[in-house]
Amino acid sequence: MDISRFVARGPRAIGAVAASAYDFGVGAGTDARGPYPCEHVRVKAAHARALTLGATVAWALPVGLAAVASAHETAGQGWGFLGSQLPELLTPVVCVAAAWLIVRRVPTSPTGPALAWTGGGIAVVMALDVLTQSEFFVSSLPGVGAVATVSTGLWPLDLVGLLILLLVFPDGRRTGRIWRAVVPAYAAATVMLVIAMWGSRKVDGQVEGGPTGGPRVVLLVAGLLLVAACLVAAIVSLVLRYRSGDEVLRLRVRWLMLAGVAIMALLVAGWVMSIGFKAPLDVAYAPVLVAIVVLVPVAVAVAVVRHDLFDIDRLLSQSTAWMVTLVLSAATFGIVVLAVSEVLSRSSGLDLTAAAFVTALVLLPLHRYVSTAVARIVDRDRFVAVARVERFAADVRAGRRAPEEIETVLREAHGDPGLRLFLAEGGSWVDPSGAPCPDAAGLTLTFGGDAIARIHSTNDAARARRRLGELSRAAAVPIEVSRLRLGLLAGRARLIEATVAERRRLERDLHDGAQQRLIATGMRLRRLQRDLDPNRSAEIDCAVAELEGTVAELRELAHGVRPSRLDDGLLTALEAMRATTPIPMDLDVSPLPALDDVQVLSAYLVVAEAVTNSLKHARATHVGVRVADLAGRLCVEVSDDGIGGVPDGGALTALRDRVESVGGTVTISSPSGAGTTVQAML
Amino acid sequence: MRLVVGEDSVLFREGLVRLLADAGHDVLAAVGDAEVMEAAVAELQPDVVIADIRMPPLLESDGARAAARIRVTSPEVGILLLSQHIELRECLDLVGTPGFGYLLKDRVLHLAEFDDALRRVADCGSAIDPEIVRSLVRARRSSALDSLTPREVEVLALVAEGHSNAFIAATLFLSERTVMAHMRSVFTKLGLTEDGATHRRVLAVITYLGSQQVNVPATHSGKH
Repeated sequence: MDISRFVARGPRAIGAVAASAYDFGVGAGTDARGPYPCEHVRVKAAHARALTLGATVAWALPVGLAAVASAHETAGQGWGFLGSQLPELLTPVVCVAAAWLIVRRVPTSPTGPALAWTGGGIAVVMALDVLTQSEFFVSSLPGVGAVATVSTGLWPLDLVGLLILLLVFPDGRRTGRIWRAVVPAYAAATVMLVIAMWGSRKVDGQVEGGPTGGPRVVLLVAGLLLVAACLVAAIVSLVLRYRSGDEVLRLRVRWLMLAGVAIMALLVAGWVMSIGFKAPLDVAYAPVLVAIVVLVPVAVAVAVVRHDLFDIDRLLSQSTAWMVTLVLSAATFGIVVLAVSEVLSRSSGLDLTAAAFVTALVLLPLHRYVSTAVARIVDRDRFVAVARVERFAADVRAGRRAPEEIETVLREAHGDPGLRLFLAEGGSWVDPSGAPCPDAAGLTLTFGGDAIARIHSTNDAARARRRLGELSRAAAVPIEVSRLRLGLLAGRARLIEATVAERRRLERDLHDGAQQRLIATGMRLRRLQRDLDPNRSAEIDCAVAELEGTVAELRELAHGVRPSRLDDGLLTALEAMRATTPIPMDLDVSPLPALDDVQVLSAYLVVAEAVTNSLKHARATHVGVRVADLAGRLCVEVSDDGIGGVPDGGALTALRDRVESVGGTVTISSPSGAGTTVQAML
Repeated sequence: MRLVVGEDSVLFREGLVRLLADAGHDVLAAVGDAEVMEAAVAELQPDVVIADIRMPPLLESDGARAAARIRVTSPEVGILLLSQHIELRECLDLVGTPGFGYLLKDRVLHLAEFDDALRRVADCGSAIDPEIVRSLVRARRSSALDSLTPREVEVLALVAEGHSNAFIAATLFLSERTVMAHMRSVFTKLGLTEDGATHRRVLAVITYLGSQQVNVPATHSGKH
């Protein structure tokens, strides 16, 4: 308790600087947000700047001290020491630079100071090393000896920044006493190690005069375990936050994961180089060191400042996949070499050749398999979304689902109920139902070089746009099919409209043209008749009667093309039909909304055709006609009491064609001996 | 008789004008446009205007609409509409009113019948084409008309066409008394009130037949 208070309050203790960065944050404002127990830590911008400045100065310490030391020493020991620790000197540089970037762009994020002190801690330890190992300082500065007695146990300060970074990255920490206790516990561990190592000193990088007594060894082991426990706890806290965090938090953590995966890959590569190719250790593992020094701070900075920079999911997924493939193919190579040399029981060129062959053979399928497997785990959201759309596309190909559902599928896969799909139809944009949408905007999808669709999402984040791009590519075929089907329907509708207009014109031409001329001819005959003797006059009567018959026939013909009584309404026309039907006909017409020309004519012709069928083939004695408005659709039903048994696709094909051409559906129920019912929905 | 003819088909118009002239009528004007016809009627005040239903300028039911306006502006002028086919939509209000006729165009080939219809219209009577009456009666056959005897239906049809009792009696080879008895029976069965004047009976009958046909009731179900 005393120790933690000391850490929290002791302004001169270096650990406390980092710890107070941590406490600043908690004090400066927390908002417990969302369903997961996580505080969103915000630090004051001035504090963040001060802390980062402190870390910058701390980084300058070892360099400055080394410069002073080498100026007063002939051996140039200070520079030599720094030169041997170049990667460690580089770490604070990159960390501090990345931290400044974060502080400038997101001044209230705790990640900036934490990252700065990830480097700052290392710099302070280095400065102490320079101080205590330089003859100049030891001899000229009085307190240095005292510092030297504690400095060997202070190495956990190297990691204190990283610890805090893990606890607060990217924007908060978990609530609860356990997590609050991590930093004090770590400080306590440091004190334990200092006490255990009291009096020892470093000479040329080697510790001399380490603990000898039993209690101090116990203290040393306990301190080391506590340091390890704190680091594990910090990592666990990050994992827990990742698991319970929102989308953005996960994205940010994934950047750090990417750096981790890259380091792992380099570690594997270094292992392969050192074992397989007998490379010197410092050469083999140099990339790993540089990666740790550079990649982690850069990943942290990108995660906080521009987490949307690249498709992190893809990067992470693919780099992980490549790493796993690398390990597996190396293992394959090794196993084959081992197996072949076992079988042949002597070393030959064959084992290497066989191994290379087998490895080359398995590499691609292996990578494909690993990619899928890794994507399923690492990049689960994208994988699930794309797989969903692809499965839908496969269902469409197999005829199990209608391509028109694509908008709904995209909405669900993209998690955006406001997503809208626009299709290119006849040089303009329409929605999936065919209604024109001149203000269509969004991601344009091309197919075979033509723009076929636009997809508009309410989620405009760069990541969402990328995701949408992938989804739309997976959905291209269903979208194109639904577009073509829509175009077909629209074309057919235009054709039907034209046909109906043509029928109307034809009917008028018959009435106003041929009929009029025939009657006019009849009138001329009547005028001639006046001057003729009665015998010839009978001849004229016959001719006029003939003309009248022709006029009546023409009227019938025009009626068949388009009953002019349809102008008086569907009911009037159907009643006129009932008047001419030779068997009793029940007529039940509900009140109908305003119908257009195509609907009226289609409904009329359906009834006419079905009734004609009943008369001709069904030997019906009674027929019922029902017309009703069913939820915006016109329902026409004709039933008779005839012999039934209309073969599917038989006599009523023309009727079915007619209804389907205007986008309607026909159901025919015709059990043998039990009458026929034709129902058309228009 | 002083007449104005409105008909856009030149062949038919010229033929009609000659037939009317031959029959001794005085054709004051023969025009091919509904608006011109309206103006001519207003100026000349003929006994009867013979108008094609479908005429320019719109080639819709312009003739019928012009006739409806003429009925308002010049109520004294008789109206005889001609049509190629049955097209009641625009002139239902006029059907059965005094001095109104509606004939299919082929009717002009039967000179005597046509002349008779023309005179009935001029005398504030009524002349409805038998074809139209037939279709109205047929369309109604499944309702109250079922209670009528075949002979009563015949009488009803002739009444609807606008004929007098004497004509009906002659046509059906009955006495006028018998015709009147049938008439009363028909009017009672259909729930109509009888009135002496011919055109009013026509109006009653046509309204009965036509209203239930064109003015669609809320739900309509025919029963046998």
